[in-house]
Amino acid sequence: MKHTLLALLTLLSALSLPAQNTTADTLQAKSRLLNMVVVTATRTPKLIMEVPVVTRVITEQDIKAADASSVQELLQTELPGIEFSYAMNQQVSLNMQGFGGNSVLFLVDGERLAGETLDNIDYSRLSLDAVQRIEIIKGAASSLYGSNAVGGVVNIITHTPEKPWSLNLGARTSSLGEGHYNGTLGIANGRWNSLSELQFKHADAVHLADTGDLRTIFAHRSFNAKEKVRFKASDRLVFTGRAGYFFRQREKSSEASDRYRDFSAGIKGDLDLGTESDLMMSYAFDQYDKSDYATASGLDVRNYSNVQHTFRSLFNHSFLTPSDTSAVLGTLTLGGDVMRDYLMSYQFTDGSHTQYTADAFAQWDWQPSSRLNIVAALRYDYYSEASASHLSPKINLLYKFSETNLRASYANGFRAPTLKEMYMNFDMANIFIIYGNPDLRPEMSDNLNASVEWSHSHYNLTCMAFLNHVSNRITTFWNQERNGMLYSNMRPLNITGLDLSASARWDNGLGVRLSYIFSHESLTDGGMRASSTRPHSATLHIDYARQWSWGRTTLALNGRVLSAVTCDEYTSYSNPTQTEEITYPGYTLWRFTLGHHFDGGWALAVTVDNLFDYRPDYYYSNSPATIGRTLSVGLSLDVDQCFGDGKEK
Amino acid sequence: MKLKQLILLPALLALVSCDGLFGGLYDEPAENPFGFVQRDDDGRGGTLRIDATSYTRWTYIDLQHRHIDTANITLGQEAPLEWDFAIHHYDVKTHDGTAAESPFDNVDMAMELEGLVFVADADSQVVIDMSTMMEGYLGYTPSPVNPVLSRWLDVDLSTMPPIYTPSNKVYLLRLSDGTLVALQFTSYMDESLLKGIVTLRYRIINDQT
Repeated sequence: MKHTLLALLTLLSALSLPAQNTTADTLQAKSRLLNMVVVTATRTPKLIMEVPVVTRVITEQDIKAADASSVQELLQTELPGIEFSYAMNQQVSLNMQGFGGNSVLFLVDGERLAGETLDNIDYSRLSLDAVQRIEIIKGAASSLYGSNAVGGVVNIITHTPEKPWSLNLGARTSSLGEGHYNGTLGIANGRWNSLSELQFKHADAVHLADTGDLRTIFAHRSFNAKEKVRFKASDRLVFTGRAGYFFRQREKSSEASDRYRDFSAGIKGDLDLGTESDLMMSYAFDQYDKSDYATASGLDVRNYSNVQHTFRSLFNHSFLTPSDTSAVLGTLTLGGDVMRDYLMSYQFTDGSHTQYTADAFAQWDWQPSSRLNIVAALRYDYYSEASASHLSPKINLLYKFSETNLRASYANGFRAPTLKEMYMNFDMANIFIIYGNPDLRPEMSDNLNASVEWSHSHYNLTCMAFLNHVSNRITTFWNQERNGMLYSNMRPLNITGLDLSASARWDNGLGVRLSYIFSHESLTDGGMRASSTRPHSATLHIDYARQWSWGRTTLALNGRVLSAVTCDEYTSYSNPTQTEEITYPGYTLWRFTLGHHFDGGWALAVTVDNLFDYRPDYYYSNSPATIGRTLSVGLSLDVDQCFGDGKEK
Repeated sequence: MKLKQLILLPALLALVSCDGLFGGLYDEPAENPFGFVQRDDDGRGGTLRIDATSYTRWTYIDLQHRHIDTANITLGQEAPLEWDFAIHHYDVKTHDGTAAESPFDNVDMAMELEGLVFVADADSQVVIDMSTMMEGYLGYTPSPVNPVLSRWLDVDLSTMPPIYTPSNKVYLLRLSDGTLVALQFTSYMDESLLKGIVTLRYRIINDQT
């Protein structure tokens, strides 16, 4: 391993000689960073350096450099403290610094996604093909996003075409038998523009081991089609319409397959009211279905359907400084949502349930001086079936001096009990019954964090300390009276830690980013170590770019290091005193990507994943599902560049 | 499209799709007729479908009289007088018979063969309570089981969900009166993938009655 790493670093060093255009590239990259606008932290566009909440952005360039085939792979490569593993029945499960899939809110262009399996949305719905950037906020954000934003928000933002036309075609294959084919067409014509995406992915079954919690990863295939149309009705009014279809099938056995489908649509209007005000109104439809497909009979029987209708409005008004009308004193944001949430599930004995939710929120983004920014918000949420209402406040502070940004914030997070958690009555293979609980209280979190960000010349350093106090977390416990598992609220727990990140980008084209997270999870009144969150995790990213007369070459080395974790697990569901200590081993995974963008629109990417051929001795459910080193090759063509000036977009 | 229509569009979509769209894409669950669901033209064979979802029930099959009966183990119910073989979930026992695994892959091709080893039922136990599985043990009750016939399905409970592997073999069952019957278990679930619905083909090769 050491020799391979040394050889790669030598290669990167040898290449990192002063080269033509690299200074310009670096300046361009720095300028891009300084001018980067983000929207997730305040629901209004703000420069990233002026947002009072630490926002991690994965740019389109980062996505290309990482050569990731999925959002899961990308997030794990780019951020420490994020671990996607398999839960029961090989369903994907997220752990982000102690928060599970139901406590991290995933959005696509600001919209929620319907459906879940074992508390996680279907991450394979999230295509990377037309992503402009991904904004990640760690910590509670319910004062703007409501339920589920207990532990953080991941907002995936797609492109809006600007060129008259653009067409990207891509294909990628790997030594594991994976295939990924995609096409993205962008059209901008006067008042209209359109973005069309098609994607098809398939993967063969992968046999990991004959014994273990994980043995064979099921073969699967998926199809994703999306259309987004934007119409500028006038200088002040813009409509955006969208529609999407998603299909995934995984081959569970020769007799049966699991099928997943999603139908989505939406329309949004953005109105510039003049006098520093704007109004957005939208409607979103999302239907996520699951069905069992029987190979012999050909029957495809639906057993789950989650249908969400959401109406939303958002109003912003900026107040100008009386003494200087070109400066904004503050921005008032008012918003509200109404959602109808319908769930039919095989886990119910009574068919289906419907819940109505409504919320209203207000945020004041105050800029008392050029150095100080204070953002305060309050949101009220109401859930009809849970009979739950909740007030979520937050306050964020940013103080800038010299090359340093100081940030501090308090934010409240909450998650209302879901229809599944309230009404489940599911016979688990004749082994036990899992009962829902209509009396559940909403999960809550209080998030405190403070950070220092220092930027100088080529360097950036961020240090953040965080504390999350989580109460009423919802999980299942054995209930003696009902002789089964019952959804219940947990005792309070604390998640504390440090999040460090250092990055540098030099004029010779070399860039380095090192991120580390320490996370400690404990029940406030002691008790067993139930958490399987790894206390230490780090990512290292080294990239190098060089412009040649015949194109542009990029090299990237990405590493993930995850520590071992020891926890106590129940050996008896009905007797909470029977536990055993189990240690999940730490591991490290590295990937190396060589990419070249040829003048004329062709791009080639060759990636060696699991560079040091790591294989777990035993495949636990949270072990990486790898059988060792793999190779993938991707080719893409920007067809418009074949007809244009040949410059990169 | 006029502005008014654009605004009305979402309201219309919400109205027509309250509980979802595209239900026509899916099939209805299979209907499950149980018992002797099909009979061969010559009357010597057919198809049986048994509801074996319960762990507390034996289902007794009388091929001669084409009759099926059940007995609840935990209620202490007795077996009927006339029966040839019985199914408990995926376990199989015989009425003083013997069974052998044959090299055939279809009951219609099955015939009496020299050299097959016929095995009688042996004292064993069957699961009647799965609810203690997470405690590391299961609730059993003593019962004779035919070890050859019970090999028709391998259930690996070491992972969740369990892995089911059918043998797809044709078994020869010699009844106590000498009648030879070919049995082939064709499925452990129904067409909608509900587990515990056992389908089998049978054919009487040599009727000694």
